[in-house]
Amino acid sequence: MNLEKVIFGFFVILACTLNFGFFIGEIDNVKVHDAGHLFAAVVVNLIALVMKFGDRTHIGATHLATSMVAMLQLLAASFVWMWQVNINHLVMNGETMSTIVSLSGGALVANLISVILLISETLRQTR
Amino acid sequence: MNEVLFVILRRLRRPLIVLIIAYAISVWGLVLIPGMDKDGNVVHLGFFHALYFISYTATTIGFGEIPFEFTDPQRVWTIVCIYLCVVSWAYALGSIFHLSQDQTLRDAAARRRFALRVAAMQEPFVLIVGYGQSGIMLARMLDRMGQRMVIVETRGERAARIEIEEFQYPPLFLAADGRSPDVLVDAGVTHRKCMAMVALAGNDDTNQSVAIGGTVLNPSLRIIARVHTPIAQANLESFRNIELINPFQTFANNIKLDMGSPERLRVIEWLSGLPGGMRPEPLNLPKGHWVVCGTGSFSQYFQDALESAGVTCSAVHVDPQKQGESAAIQHHGGATRDMIAAGIERAVGLVVCTENDSFNLATVTRARSINPAIYVVIRQANAANASLIDASMANLRFVKAEVVSHKARQLLTSPLLIRFLKYLDEDSGDMARKTGTLLEQHVADKVPFMWVFDCFASYAGLREALAPGVDPPLSIGDLLINPEQPPERISAVPLLLLRKKKEIPLPPEDTQLMSGDRILFAGQRGEGELQKRFLLEPSPLTYVRTGMEPPRSWLFRRLLQRGRS
Repeated sequence: MNLEKVIFGFFVILACTLNFGFFIGEIDNVKVHDAGHLFAAVVVNLIALVMKFGDRTHIGATHLATSMVAMLQLLAASFVWMWQVNINHLVMNGETMSTIVSLSGGALVANLISVILLISETLRQTR
Repeated sequence: MNEVLFVILRRLRRPLIVLIIAYAISVWGLVLIPGMDKDGNVVHLGFFHALYFISYTATTIGFGEIPFEFTDPQRVWTIVCIYLCVVSWAYALGSIFHLSQDQTLRDAAARRRFALRVAAMQEPFVLIVGYGQSGIMLARMLDRMGQRMVIVETRGERAARIEIEEFQYPPLFLAADGRSPDVLVDAGVTHRKCMAMVALAGNDDTNQSVAIGGTVLNPSLRIIARVHTPIAQANLESFRNIELINPFQTFANNIKLDMGSPERLRVIEWLSGLPGGMRPEPLNLPKGHWVVCGTGSFSQYFQDALESAGVTCSAVHVDPQKQGESAAIQHHGGATRDMIAAGIERAVGLVVCTENDSFNLATVTRARSINPAIYVVIRQANAANASLIDASMANLRFVKAEVVSHKARQLLTSPLLIRFLKYLDEDSGDMARKTGTLLEQHVADKVPFMWVFDCFASYAGLREALAPGVDPPLSIGDLLINPEQPPERISAVPLLLLRKKKEIPLPPEDTQLMSGDRILFAGQRGEGELQKRFLLEPSPLTYVRTGMEPPRSWLFRRLLQRGRS
C-alpha cells in the first residue's frame, strides 16, 4: 500500500463529497446550504489542488486542470456570498443562494471528473 | 509548460499545504468560538471576518480585534492561531528562499532564460562553442564588426567572464556542455537566423562531437571546427558543410611555402591580413638543418612541412606535461645532450613548440648558448605570456589563438576569399605572381579590403545592361571604371568570379557578365561603396559605358528619340 496514494485519494474524494454535501438540497432554500460546508469544501479543494502540482504526466495535467476549475467555481461562490452578506450587508435570500449553489454545482462536476480520473488511473494499474 | 515552473510547484507542495491547513484550522476555530457584541449578545464571527482577522494576524500585521472586542476564549484561540500561522509562514518562506538559492533550479532558470532570448533573436548571429583563448579573440573581432553572437562554454568561470568583458553588443552566453544536443538547440543551431557555428572547444574529441551534433541537427548550417590532429581532420572532412581550421597545419604550411615559393606566401599573407594594415614582409627562413623541439601533432606537422620543403630536420621529443614543469627545466644536462644529438650546433633553425611557455623559453636559451646565431620559431601557448615571449627575441612566433581566430573570421566574413586563397595555394603556375603584379599595379601596398559584387539582374541599375542583346555586353572592366570620373579606374582588382557552380580565379577584365554572377574584389577602402552605385540605378553604368548621361524623364527620352530620327 502506498501512503501517498492513500492521502491523495482521500483528499480528492473528500473534496468531491464535501462539495456534494453543500450542493444537495433545494437550490433556493437558504436553510439547507451551510457556510461552514462551503468553507470546508474550499479548504479541501485547495489542498487537493496543491497536491496535484508538479505532476508531469498527461493524466496529472488533466487532474490539475479539473481541480483548477473546481477551485475557480467554489471561490466564485464564496465571493458571491461575501458580497451579499459582508459588503452589501443584506440578508441571504433565495436568489443569491441559487447563484451560489449553481456555482458549486459546476465545481461538483469538475470534482466528479477528478474522481473518475482517479478511478480510471487506479484501474489501469495492473500491479 | 516549462521545466522550472514544474520544479517550483513540486518543491512548494508541502509548505503550501501546511499553510492552507493552518489557515483553515484557525479560521474554523474563530467561527466556532462564540463572541459577544457591545450589548452582551452572543454573536459568531462570520467566515469573512475570521479570514480577515487571521490574514493580518498570521502575517503579524495586527489591526486589532474586529468587529467587536474578543472574549477570553477567543483570545486563547488567537494565541494558538498566532503560533500556528507564524510558524507555518516561517516554514513556507524558508522553503521559498531555499528554493531560490538552489543551484540546479537556478541553472534551469538561467538555461530557460537563455533559450528564450536566443529564440527571440531577430538579427543574424554566429554561435561560438568554446570560449577559450581563440574564442575570446574571435568574439572580440566579430563584436568590433557588429556581428551578434551566442556563446556556449563548459567552464562556468570562463562563461562568467563574458558578462564582465566589454562588448559593443553583449553576446548571449550559457555555461553548458556543447556536446549535448539540447544545449545546441537551445543555443540556436536550428534557429533561422543562425549564420554559422564555430566549434572551438578544448580538445579535438569534444570539438568533433559538437561539430557532428550541429551538422546532424541542422544539415544546412555552416560549421567551422578547429582540429589539431590528422585523425580528427579526416573524421570531419567527410561532412560536406563542416569547414576545418587546423592551426598547426596552417602554420607549418606557411613555413613550407616560405621555403619553397615565398612569392605565393607573400601574396596569400598580403590578401589575408587585417584590411588596411601593412603588407607583411617575407620571412626569409634560412635553409639548412632544422631542429624541432616538441611533441604531438604540431611537431609532426612541422617535420613534414620541413621535409617536403627539402630541408633536413631532426626532432627532440620532449613532453613537459609528463615530466612536470620544474623537472623539465632542471633536466638541463640531459636535454642539452639530446639537442646536441639532434645537431643543434650545425642547425640554422630551431622550432620550439611544446604547450608550456616557460619550458619553451628555457629551451630557446639553452639552444642559443650552444648556437647563438640560430633562427628561432617559438610557440606562445598562453596569450597572457606575450611579454615573456617578447623577451626571448624569437624571430617568429606562433600563437594558436591568433591563427585560429583570424582564419575563422575570414571564413565567416569573406568565404569567397578563402576559395580564392585555395586556388592560389594549389596553383602550380604563376597565378601568385600575376595576382601580386595586379595588386601592386591597382591597389596600394596596404592589405586590401575585400567585397563581393552581386551581379544580379534584379538590381535596378543592372537590369538594362544585363538584358539579352545589349551591345557591347557588360564586362568586368565596366565595373572597374569610376562612376564619378570616367574613364578613371577605381583601385580594385577582381579576384574570383563565381558563376553558378563554376569558379574562375583572376577573371580577365573583358569577361562578359551574366545575371547571377558574384565577383570578389580586392581594393582600397571605400572603392566598394563607389562600385555599389552601379546597383541602385542605371545612369552610372550607362554613363561609364557610353560617356553620356541618359535622360531620365519620359519627356526627355521622347525628345532624344525624336532628335535621333
